[in-house]
Amino acid sequence: MTNTVELQNVRKTYDHFVAVDDLSFQIREGSVYGLLGPNGAGKTSTLRMMIGITAPDSGAIRLFGENFRRAHLGRIGYLPEERGLYKRMKTVEHLVFLAEPKGVNPQVAERKAKQWCERLELTAWMDKKIEELSKGMQQKVQFIAALLHDPDLMILDEPFAGLDPANAVGLKDVLLEMKKAGKTILFSTHRMDQVERLCDSICLIDHGRAVLQGELKQVKAKFGRNNVQLEYEGDADFLNEDGVVQSFNNYGNYVEVRLKPGADAQQLLRMAAANVRVNKFDVVEPSLEEIFIEAVGKREAVGKRDA
Amino acid sequence: MRNTWLILKREYLERVRKRSFIVSTLLLPALMIGMLVLPNKLATMKSAGTRHIVVVCSNPDFARAVKSQLEGGGTETLRRGSGQKYRVEVASTPTDSLRSQLREKVVNGDIDGYLWLSDDVLSTRKVPYVARETSDFIEVASLQGALKTALLRQELVSHGVSAADADKYMQDVDLDAVRIKGGEEKKAGGPAQFITVIVLTMMLYITLLLYGVSVMRSVLEEKTSRVMEVVLSSATAKQLMAGKVLGVGAVGLTQIAIWIALGILFSSPALIGAKSAMAGIELPLGALPAFAVFFVLGYMLYSAMYAALGAMVNSEQEAQQWQFFVTMPIIIPVIMMTFVIRQPNSPVSMWMSLIPFFAPILMYMRIVVQTPPWWQIALSIGLLAATVWGVIALCSRIYRVGILMYGKRPTLPEILKWVKYA
Repeated sequence: MTNTVELQNVRKTYDHFVAVDDLSFQIREGSVYGLLGPNGAGKTSTLRMMIGITAPDSGAIRLFGENFRRAHLGRIGYLPEERGLYKRMKTVEHLVFLAEPKGVNPQVAERKAKQWCERLELTAWMDKKIEELSKGMQQKVQFIAALLHDPDLMILDEPFAGLDPANAVGLKDVLLEMKKAGKTILFSTHRMDQVERLCDSICLIDHGRAVLQGELKQVKAKFGRNNVQLEYEGDADFLNEDGVVQSFNNYGNYVEVRLKPGADAQQLLRMAAANVRVNKFDVVEPSLEEIFIEAVGKREAVGKRDA
Repeated sequence: MRNTWLILKREYLERVRKRSFIVSTLLLPALMIGMLVLPNKLATMKSAGTRHIVVVCSNPDFARAVKSQLEGGGTETLRRGSGQKYRVEVASTPTDSLRSQLREKVVNGDIDGYLWLSDDVLSTRKVPYVARETSDFIEVASLQGALKTALLRQELVSHGVSAADADKYMQDVDLDAVRIKGGEEKKAGGPAQFITVIVLTMMLYITLLLYGVSVMRSVLEEKTSRVMEVVLSSATAKQLMAGKVLGVGAVGLTQIAIWIALGILFSSPALIGAKSAMAGIELPLGALPAFAVFFVLGYMLYSAMYAALGAMVNSEQEAQQWQFFVTMPIIIPVIMMTFVIRQPNSPVSMWMSLIPFFAPILMYMRIVVQTPPWWQIALSIGLLAATVWGVIALCSRIYRVGILMYGKRPTLPEILKWVKYA
């Protein structure tokens, strides 16, 4: 299968500040990709290079299997982190204005804009000026603007920031539908918990560099299933014994246990069964956030050793 | 190209549909006319209030001469000078009691003032004028003029000239100004011509400023509302800036076209009905096309700078602090306007009108006042066009970086760095 997006050793500096440093990743066609990292990690800088707002200092960006060309922009939908619309334009008029540069015929754009407005319950607002719409409605208009031209690649920068729950669910449904239709979706966010379940693959970046990347399943497998949630009755003193337990957090009848690297959860289960009554024993994956903290921690430790 | 056109179209339609466009299209000419008519109106308003003064003189003949001078029998120059009307009472017994009485009247506001003409006024040539207010220097000058004329007449009469002859000698002279142009004699326009030049130049100045600032506002609005981000995902910064500058410029041209149409509409009945009213105004054939040329070039120059300014700052307040640096080069030629009208061919006028930043207003003004040699016009347009090209190249670079920079206002070295970015 081809890659919709390929970044090869991309580097971008602003004056002396390195925003993106030797970043490479590929996004498979039809997959959902997460570009994750804390604020200021270089996510937006990366996205801006992908849609030609800025150009990389070095490295290459390939879209749809070809070197970047502005013609590709017609196949990309972009929902920026900072959202805004022309306040004095009418809803449908505005949607047509944003769709036309993407190569959509104005009549077609108007028809589609109306269809989307109906679907997202904006019908009554189609001929109203943007400034008359509520914040939530403006957000909806902004989504429609990003996908009206039926893009093959959807790029969303912090898509759930400032969204009310209903709109967030609506957006997610639309995106899953697009995925089903074979479109590629790229999320960029610092709220890892929000996209964790949606992504097929991820790239964690920090200070402009990739810290960790790959298929989500593999990333998680690599970090191991070394967390155990245990519900019990009895005395949990056995957790203090030297053995498989690295650390634990006891809530009385419920304890979260972190196993030592390479330790077997089965051994803990046997110990538990011997000492307490086990109501529930669950081996869980670490969250992306935990993985990120661990990965960044390791890298920093390595960095310190190097220095 | 397509993107630029789409952005231009949006910008144009949004502005032309706005109520403020219609209002300003109608209001600005009204304002201009008001600016020209109002000072005259004010002057006549003042003359509506007649000043009541008393002339005290033992010689009744002389007192009467002063009275007739002041009460409108005076010379043309005098009347034109202040436009002030007087009611004059004559008293022929200069006693101390009268003096204190008059003083009392001035204080009470029964009279506005009095002139005390002693018998030796012919030799001393000093006349006390006591009044509540003496700050109106034009009025003081007109009183002086009236006294001088009356004294002269008095002396002529005392030297044996008949009163009728004396009056004849005191009459005004009209200056019949004729300008020679291309071997032909042309009657000079006078105040009507002067006013037309001022109106046209002010119109150019106001539109340049108005639409330049419009571009800045519009850039700033796109930046603060962040709508820029979406637009940039399909159009380049260059297309965005070009579309905006051209769109706003097209609105300006539309407005000017409406004004010209209105002007022709309203002035044509006057042309047919009373040709004499327009006879004094003589404009070179190129006045209107030159307006378009200098508006377009001047607008490109200033709107590019305003666009860069709008991209550099983060708020309207910040913009206002810096706007001065862009506005100043437009204001300087306006300050020089009177000088250039009076001496359109002086070296200072010539050099100033060749400087690209002043050329749109000053060279245009010279063309309207008295068409300068063609090479000067060509040189000024050439220099202006070259500057426009350079300024656009520079400003579009600042714009491209500036629109994506939020937060801190950039320092000058930072802006220079932006220009160098690839």
